[in-house]
Amino acid sequence: MLDLEHQVVTFIMFLFPFYVLAFLLYVVRVLRGPTISDIVLALDALLYDVAAFTAILALFFKSPILAPISMIIALWAYATDIYVAKYLEGREMGD
Amino acid sequence: MDLFNQLIVFFGEFLLVVGVVGDLIGALGMLRFPNFFVRLHAATIGAIGGAFYPLLGVTLIAVGADFLGAYRWFIAGSSLITAFLIAILSPTGTHALARATYRSKVSKPYPKVVDHLEEDSHA
Repeated sequence: MLDLEHQVVTFIMFLFPFYVLAFLLYVVRVLRGPTISDIVLALDALLYDVAAFTAILALFFKSPILAPISMIIALWAYATDIYVAKYLEGREMGD
Repeated sequence: MDLFNQLIVFFGEFLLVVGVVGDLIGALGMLRFPNFFVRLHAATIGAIGGAFYPLLGVTLIAVGADFLGAYRWFIAGSSLITAFLIAILSPTGTHALARATYRSKVSKPYPKVVDHLEEDSHA
């Protein structure tokens, strides 16, 4: 039977290029987005996926200190949403 | 016990594959869809399918992989809490952003059948 550690590490190495490709596609939308809502929406999805990728890296490098960082990244993505939503609505109410 | 660990790790790897597929579909939809209100759909796929499922998969792998030592419970717990946070925060933040975008008229929802919110605001 195959060694479990070798199998998990090989599997995660096989997943890396697909994640990087998805990140690059999100970054294209972040750079090209016509309005600020598109930029923030793409950044939001990108940061949630970076959070998941950080948890996978914690498995890959066998370093448990990387795992709680994903929690912080997810909370930052939510904070970006709320800040920009308040900014857009505030401008609408101010005029 | 060895077979049980192997089974949990296989199920976690299946969830990671589902996450990669959701991630790629969400990124392609984010790139190809025409305007903001259609891209909300791709953002939901990218957040729930691309981040919630892989975090559950990391939790299962960390529970089953005993080569990580005693600290694997640390990885499993923080991944589970992050998955729970994303399942709550992603719909909330997207809803707030869509509401602000609609009310400030930054983007027009043009492929639409009916718009009750607009009819109510004119009445």
